[in-house]
Amino acid sequence: MIVFVSGGARSGKSDVAEQCVKRLSAEKPRYYIATASVYDGEMADRVARHQASRGAQWQTLEAPLAIDRAVAQVTDGHGALLDCLTLWASQVLYASDLSEEAGMALLASTLRDARVRGVSLVVVSNDINEDLLTDNAETWRYVAFLQRLHVQLAAEADSVLEVVAGRAVEWKMAKEPQ
Amino acid sequence: MQLFIGGARAGKHDAVAARFPQATWWRLTPGQRLISAADGLAEGTPLVVHSVFDWLAASVDPLQDDDETRRQWQDDLKCLRHAAQTNDAALVMIVNEIGRGIVPMDREARRLRDLNGWFCQDAAAQSDQAWYVRHGLVMAIK
Repeated sequence: MIVFVSGGARSGKSDVAEQCVKRLSAEKPRYYIATASVYDGEMADRVARHQASRGAQWQTLEAPLAIDRAVAQVTDGHGALLDCLTLWASQVLYASDLSEEAGMALLASTLRDARVRGVSLVVVSNDINEDLLTDNAETWRYVAFLQRLHVQLAAEADSVLEVVAGRAVEWKMAKEPQ
Repeated sequence: MQLFIGGARAGKHDAVAARFPQATWWRLTPGQRLISAADGLAEGTPLVVHSVFDWLAASVDPLQDDDETRRQWQDDLKCLRHAAQTNDAALVMIVNEIGRGIVPMDREARRLRDLNGWFCQDAAAQSDQAWYVRHGLVMAIK
């Protein structure tokens, strides 16, 4: 089961995503795949706040780039939360030798692996494409790349949720198991 | 008329192309009135009008009153719908959602953002169906 959760800043994406993981898999531990690297105080605060709210039954895997290797470490049938694709996309573009195509392929193989092994993977990302169109070429490249990932993920996902003020709007609904 | 609205690279083009594979695509020309899109109409062929934002950005007269500008495109939308009907052609309009960011510091950018939003509202009001496109998925909003 693949779920894609996105929304604006502080819309409650992480909470919705955590509830999703809990609902989809009762197995413990649950896995938190962090794409963030802690490089300053503000980021440390954010990480600490999120960790405290998740509680002890989550195991953290750090994956600034290798989300495929992180998902490979998740036990078959367990739930995992990948937080977040926005940061991962920027690391693919600006902190790796990967091409955009290679990034897309890496995401595709990660999703495939999760699906094959029955991992309930919930992916969180930010909606940043409904602002005034930027005339900065680099920003535009980033928005366009992130959107390619989002479209790919939404097509692959069983369920797609938009979070608004902590509420989940269903854009694509998973079929109920028979 | 059908309206497809969504953010940058949200998948609007593909969503429209999949639904109207035979359509003529009409890029609005800066400096020309909206009704000029009627030149793209052909009997029984859907017409997709796009690049509204670029058209607005390039052709809005800084001296013209916004209400007057708005009345002009409202009239043009009416005429365009009528022309499409006469040609038995589906009319599809693609517009950008750009109103969900921080208010721009620049006055011109603010005005353009407002105009774009009004255009979207006016086009939606005159549409029989409106669709919100997000990450390649399509949701009916009218």
